[in-house]
Amino acid sequence: MSWRQVYLVLRREYITRVKSKGFIAATILVPVGFVVLFGIGILISVWESDITFEIGVIDQTEVLAPSLEEMNEERYTDYSDLAEDSLRTLVQQEQITGYMILDEEHITSDKTLELIYSGSGGIQLLNSIQSDMREVIREERLQRAEVSQDIQNIFETSVSLNSRRLTAEGEETEDDTAFFTIVGMAMGFIIFFAIFGYGGYIMRGVIEEKTNRIVEVITSSVKPIELLSGKMVGVGALAITQFGIWIIALVGLSSIAGPLAASMMSDQSAQMQAMGAPEQAELPAFLDIPTIETSLIVYFILFFLLGYILYSSLFAAIGSAADSETDTQQLMMPVTIPIMLAYFIMFHAWRSPDSMLSVISSLVPFFSPIVMITRIAITEVPFWQIGLSMLLMVLTFVGTMWLSAKIYKVGILSYGGTASFKDIAKWIRQ
Amino acid sequence: MATIEVENLSKTFGKTVAVDDVSFEAQRGRIFGLLGPNGAGKTTTIRMINYIIPQDSGKITIQGVRVSPKTQKMIGYMPEERGLYKKMKVGEQLMYLAQLKGLDASTAKKQIRYWLERFSASDWHSKVVGELSKGMSQKIQFISTIVHDPEIYIFDEPFSGLDPINSELLKEIIIELREKGKTILFSTHRMEQVEQMCDDICLFNNGKVVLTGNLRSIKKEFGKNTVLLEFQGDGTFLDELDDIRINNRSTNFAEIRILNGLDHQEILKKAMERAEIHKFQLVEPSLNEIFISTVGEDNIKNKEELQA
Repeated sequence: MSWRQVYLVLRREYITRVKSKGFIAATILVPVGFVVLFGIGILISVWESDITFEIGVIDQTEVLAPSLEEMNEERYTDYSDLAEDSLRTLVQQEQITGYMILDEEHITSDKTLELIYSGSGGIQLLNSIQSDMREVIREERLQRAEVSQDIQNIFETSVSLNSRRLTAEGEETEDDTAFFTIVGMAMGFIIFFAIFGYGGYIMRGVIEEKTNRIVEVITSSVKPIELLSGKMVGVGALAITQFGIWIIALVGLSSIAGPLAASMMSDQSAQMQAMGAPEQAELPAFLDIPTIETSLIVYFILFFLLGYILYSSLFAAIGSAADSETDTQQLMMPVTIPIMLAYFIMFHAWRSPDSMLSVISSLVPFFSPIVMITRIAITEVPFWQIGLSMLLMVLTFVGTMWLSAKIYKVGILSYGGTASFKDIAKWIRQ
Repeated sequence: MATIEVENLSKTFGKTVAVDDVSFEAQRGRIFGLLGPNGAGKTTTIRMINYIIPQDSGKITIQGVRVSPKTQKMIGYMPEERGLYKKMKVGEQLMYLAQLKGLDASTAKKQIRYWLERFSASDWHSKVVGELSKGMSQKIQFISTIVHDPEIYIFDEPFSGLDPINSELLKEIIIELREKGKTILFSTHRMEQVEQMCDDICLFNNGKVVLTGNLRSIKKEFGKNTVLLEFQGDGTFLDELDDIRINNRSTNFAEIRILNGLDHQEILKKAMERAEIHKFQLVEPSLNEIFISTVGEDNIKNKEELQA
């Protein structure tokens, strides 16, 4: 292999792509998208008060409606002096969302409650009405049973769990499982999309060279393996550039956005406190970011690169066997299936990162880039597992590269029609 | 020593034998024509000479060196399936291709400038190839083939898809290269192009070489046994002749190859009985005729294509 030729190919791949409008647009739009999402996140938590749904209550017990009103003044209104028909009209005119008729039986027995409503508000509204009703009815029942204050307190019991991790060195650290679950998911997602994205870049590049009919001109100067490796490294360098820009942008923006949002928050909470709502004063969880360890970032980059090289040569092989981009669907299957499987396993690994399925599939080379990084982020993965998965990925890469090079070598010079799997098998045996 | 030497070359794809024990030599300062119908194995042979695909057996040497990445740089190759990167600028593209052929950046720059000027195309330097007309990009393709000033030029079906102006331009380039003492090999299935340009030929059929050597001497060997006949009137007498083959026939013209030593005066006599004769000439056979009589009519694949 001549490194000069590989270098020339990778430089062309890199420079022409880095200058392309598509690349520049994607590089700019993603951080902008991040800012927008972040901003929306802040906005949602600042103006958390959702739209009020007004529920009219016709109360025949005379006790439930007042306690409902006391519980949530904005939501429940006592309409006991109106007839049911008038409430129906109000719902139809959309002046109230819905109404309920409560009677004595609801207190004495578990008679099903009936809500007549316009259908807006969704499951969340129904759930909160249900829990509100459960609470007021329970309270009323306790009242009537004349149980002691102690027992009433027992019913008010609320349990909270605070967890800390005990490290092997005997230190107790703050447990940020919830946060790192999100980080792990995000990393898995990013690698999933990156493999498809950059793999697709390579595939389209190969097809373009075939349809432009330049590939034979190039192969009269460059060996197919040089061309293939140059492409893979060139697009890999492009990926690193793009990620580098994003990470810098992210770090830069969050260092500005964090304090900015915090100051907005404190303004807001001051107002809230003035209004007598101290419980709103806490910062939203996502601003309270635990530090991500450097090792996690290093692993992320490693697994991203390993996943990229593992899959990208296969994408190139698919491109070489296809005659046009629309013909790639069927050929994509053997590559799409493992990536999609890894993606689904990630959802399992995210809930139980140490289960047998999670451990084993995180060692399977085609799943590792997505599943293992999710596990590393969420749980303590023994080093031998990480090491083994990387080793297996490198070995598999040697295999896929060998396979892809064989397909690619023949594929780029076959014109007129997309190859079938049978043809490809023949090329490999050649 | 021949510039390109091909000895006992063979290549098989699955069950099809694409190239079967092929040998020929191309000399410096001459134009070598590789001809035969489509699918005869010309492109496969050319790809092996260019070290694009490996041979199964046999030996190819370029100026005494076995084919390798090194010999690739000694060749300027224009494939039948050719094209350029549509989104790249003309200058960048030529620079890339020249560097892949081993040129350093400054030499490449000089060469590119020279050739763009030569084809009065200097204004295109910063244009994207996709914006060029077909004729223009064909010119850029020529430049990309010759920009590194190699000793050997290989053109696979060079005239297919060219407009008349560019066909003439390419012919001029090829003749000029020969005068400079370069070696030129080109393939075609159009026999008349070979007659006009080639010094030496190699006839391919079904992966095998059926005839190779100097074009003049091959023709001489076949002797003057072809009649060109121009006439006016009833042409049905042609159908009554035995021991002949008619290659090129129209209402008032026929190219008649005489077989088995039939006296050509017989033909003239028969013709005069039925039609008015405008021309009767005894000539060397056309290459097309040579090909057919060498291979045998029944053994030719894609026969129609030969009738250029």
